[in-house]
Amino acid sequence: MFVDARGEPCPYPMKQVMEAMDRLPEGEELEVLVDHPPAVDMIRLLATRRGFLMEAEPADSAEWRIRLRRAASREVKP
Amino acid sequence: MATPPARPGISLGRHTVHPQTVAGLLVLLAAAALTMASSRRDPEFGVFAAVGLGFGIVLQRSRFCFNAAFRDLFQFRSGRTMKGVIVGMAVATPGFGLHMFNLLPNPSLGPLAPEAHATPISLALVLGGLLFGTGMVIAGGCVSGSIYRMGEGYLTSWVSFGGILGGLLVAARTWNWWWEHFIRGAPVVWLPRSLGYGGAVTLTLAGLGAAYLLVLWIESRGGGGLQEAVSPDPAVAFAPRVRGLARAVFRQGWPAAAGGTAAGLLNLLSYEAHMPWRVVGELSRWSIGGATLVGLAPGPLRGTEDLAACTLGAGGGVLTHGLLLNAGLFFGSLLAALLAHEFKLRLPRKRVRYIQALGGGLLMGYGGGIALGCTVGAFFSAIPSLAVNGWIFGLALAAGAYIGLRVIERIP
Repeated sequence: MFVDARGEPCPYPMKQVMEAMDRLPEGEELEVLVDHPPAVDMIRLLATRRGFLMEAEPADSAEWRIRLRRAASREVKP
Repeated sequence: MATPPARPGISLGRHTVHPQTVAGLLVLLAAAALTMASSRRDPEFGVFAAVGLGFGIVLQRSRFCFNAAFRDLFQFRSGRTMKGVIVGMAVATPGFGLHMFNLLPNPSLGPLAPEAHATPISLALVLGGLLFGTGMVIAGGCVSGSIYRMGEGYLTSWVSFGGILGGLLVAARTWNWWWEHFIRGAPVVWLPRSLGYGGAVTLTLAGLGAAYLLVLWIESRGGGGLQEAVSPDPAVAFAPRVRGLARAVFRQGWPAAAGGTAAGLLNLLSYEAHMPWRVVGELSRWSIGGATLVGLAPGPLRGTEDLAACTLGAGGGVLTHGLLLNAGLFFGSLLAALLAHEFKLRLPRKRVRYIQALGGGLLMGYGGGIALGCTVGAFFSAIPSLAVNGWIFGLALAAGAYIGLRVIERIP
């Protein structure tokens, strides 16, 4: 899945990512492009709480590419 | 091996300098020249130009957005920014107390310490806070937040700014009604009058401590807070460690507590030099001044000469303390954003965002006008002024932010 949240003011980038996390099919990766500086930290917080692994890298001046996938370590306990 | 993508830049021998770094350094030079020019006019103006730039740099670097501070508590149960705001007020409180003691050693005699942000507690304060809180969430930034985002290149923040000026004009044109019905005769509760400075500072710090615990509790219920670790620097040699320090200061975002501490100290410096940090009083001068040019002047505003903080008004020279604070906020943010390579002209694709910015701006301008200040003057500078109106405005802002969030949930 891909979310392009560039140009969106606060809090829409975070809101769109949260909704996409809920809809993301099992095993798929969520790719996000943002240009709102505070969004990177806030998405990191949301990812941690929801058990997602996150990688963020600068994509261009004032743009970041974020990759999110569900952590695989959720073992089913008997 | 993959080749790294070509980076834009200006070549200087073997080195390539990012164009935003060059632009940032040019803005820095211009800002330094303007600060020195204002200082020659009046040393106090030099201080205010520097403090204004400092606020712009701090707010941009630490993402110190009062709107997010309130909204994120409800929307994401995150207290990242609110904790920074509380730290900023706690840092300023003892210094404000000491400065006011020097200005007015016996606070029980009746008058307020000069420039303290203690204002009447009336329905105008509560309703103003509600409208302001709702407006800032709908617009995506409060007044100081819009000004620093204008420096980062957000077009919607420029639209909000226009809305704020419009809202302030409507507030000025209805001011006399609010004054006659609610503000005149409403109590001003300034804690040092009854508790002395020591008691007032202690009680304020205790209140801020309790607020901090409340924020921690909200975060815990939401699944924990953001870990704002400063990235570890494994280097041993001097040069890479200096580069690491420069990166931490100029390129990476600062932790909210660092931003709060710096903002609190700047606020204290501002009060020591002349007056606490404030934003909308100056903007109302621009708004009323502009309206006067096109024949829409609001006429005499009753009672404003006896009020503290951000009173609506016109007049005064072109160069004022408030102008330097607001201009500094914009240029400081612009230069910090450029040096961090975070400047970008941001244009939302959805047209509704511009309507949100304008509508939210109007609500903020009107609310801030009748409440005698914004998240800065009526809250961030009022609580360290040991004034109860700061706490009431803060609660109204929180309630307004909650309403604003309900509104934007319906705007996709």
